[in-house]
Amino acid sequence: MSAAIETQGLSRRFGQRRAVDDLSMTVPERVVYGFLGRNGAGKTTTLKMILGLIRPSAGTARINGIDVARDRIGAARQVGALLEAHGFYGNLTGRENLGLTATLIGLRNSEIDRVLDVVEMRADADRKVGGYSLGMRQRLGLARAMLGAPPILVLDEPTNGLDPDGIADMRRFLRSLPDRTGATVLLSSHLLGEIEQTATHVGVVNDGRLVLEGELSRLKADLAPEILLRTGDDARAVQALLAGGYSPVAFEGGLSVAPRPGQDLDQAAAELVRVLVAGGAPVFAVGPKPRSLEDIYRGAAASRSSQAEAA
Amino acid sequence: MLAVLSVELRKLNRSLAALLAVAAPTLIAIFLFFNLLRGKKAPPWEMCLQMSGMVWAFFMLPMSVTALTALVAQMEHAPRSWDHLRALPVARWKLYAAKAVCVVALVAAMSVLNLIFTWGAVTLAGTIKPAVMPAGAPDLAKHAVLLAKVLAAATLMIAIQLWTALRFASFVPALALGIGGTFFSVVATAAKQGVFFPWQMPVNMMARDAWRIETALALGGGLGLLVLIAAIIHLSRREVL
Repeated sequence: MSAAIETQGLSRRFGQRRAVDDLSMTVPERVVYGFLGRNGAGKTTTLKMILGLIRPSAGTARINGIDVARDRIGAARQVGALLEAHGFYGNLTGRENLGLTATLIGLRNSEIDRVLDVVEMRADADRKVGGYSLGMRQRLGLARAMLGAPPILVLDEPTNGLDPDGIADMRRFLRSLPDRTGATVLLSSHLLGEIEQTATHVGVVNDGRLVLEGELSRLKADLAPEILLRTGDDARAVQALLAGGYSPVAFEGGLSVAPRPGQDLDQAAAELVRVLVAGGAPVFAVGPKPRSLEDIYRGAAASRSSQAEAA
Repeated sequence: MLAVLSVELRKLNRSLAALLAVAAPTLIAIFLFFNLLRGKKAPPWEMCLQMSGMVWAFFMLPMSVTALTALVAQMEHAPRSWDHLRALPVARWKLYAAKAVCVVALVAAMSVLNLIFTWGAVTLAGTIKPAVMPAGAPDLAKHAVLLAKVLAAATLMIAIQLWTALRFASFVPALALGIGGTFFSVVATAAKQGVFFPWQMPVNMMARDAWRIETALALGGGLGLLVLIAAIIHLSRREVL
């Protein structure tokens, strides 16, 4: 699979502050790549360097093999972008706003109707954007990013301002894009759930560095297996497990326990039930814990902080 | 470039730029109209056109340029459109050049309106009060050439105002600069050094000394064009954070 977007050693300083630090990421073609990190982690700065809006202090960004620093216009022809600041003219209608961009990039007016249909905005297209809700602006922004059917979409926090139904629609829409249009989607978010439910690939950025990257299903499969326990008395269960040499972790679904090294899941489940019953904790459910992006994220963050402490 | 210009015109068309373009010459015409009605004798056409040109060159032109440049810049600053525009596969210098062309074209249109409205105001006042109707025909061609020189000499001021308005997201620096420049243009209209002051270069087109006209035209027009090109290059290369 070749790379739609590739960065190598991408860095950007603002004065003494290193906003992005030696970031090398690879977004394969025709995937939805979730770029995850907390606010201020360096996501938007990275996206701006990919779009050629700001210059890297070091490193390179390539879009479909085109070096953004050497051929910004060539690279920009490959990309449609939805940025945090929509930049719509409130005194113009949605259709007129799209018309301006279509003229600038040399597209016919029929393209405007096509993208309006895709985001189901045709009915509101002749209203002034000043009267649009944030969700409508977001959809119009997506329509504008899709003008000319670019092979790559770069979307900065695309579900911002959407209501729950709008978020669900947007997720469905983004998930279906690679199959429907052959597009590659790079979307940034600080929300784990959003990335988990939308992306096929993930890159986690922390303090400007990419700390984890890969196909989501593979990353989940690579996680060490854990056993989920639901008991009638978690306090007593924790006591019993600690006495039995386990290290239980409480989460909202119950307790999570890692098997001992070399122990398989079935052996571990049997022993855990024995320990809990012996300790007087009623056992309601035992089973493998579903792997989540949150586990991956926490693992990556923990590994990063231990590296930092060691340094 | 034509596509970028057409986009700029479509944006301006839905702004209040047209109102501004009409308002400034109208105000001069209203002033002339009532000033003429107050008089008892008919002044020569030359004097009426000269007065209109003076008011335009030393006050209304700098104020209009300040307002117009702020308007075209705020069209992008206010909705934070720069990231979107600058991410498009369009050479960035064209985005800024289109704005410069629109501002110069609007100021040219205002100069033409100034001439037409002045003629209209004087004719209307003379019709209402025949005693003040100037005799003969006005030399509109001569005055049009003068207004064209005023516009050419204003290029340096336009370049400075446009760069400031586009460079800073807030309209305050451009407005402060424009108000300051116009203030000194008004209070020191006769100053000899005014020939080197961008906001006074246009009014120097009406000076009696040839060297003042030539110097202000060379600096305002020639140097102004170079500064305008440099401003466009600088704006298209700088990062908008």
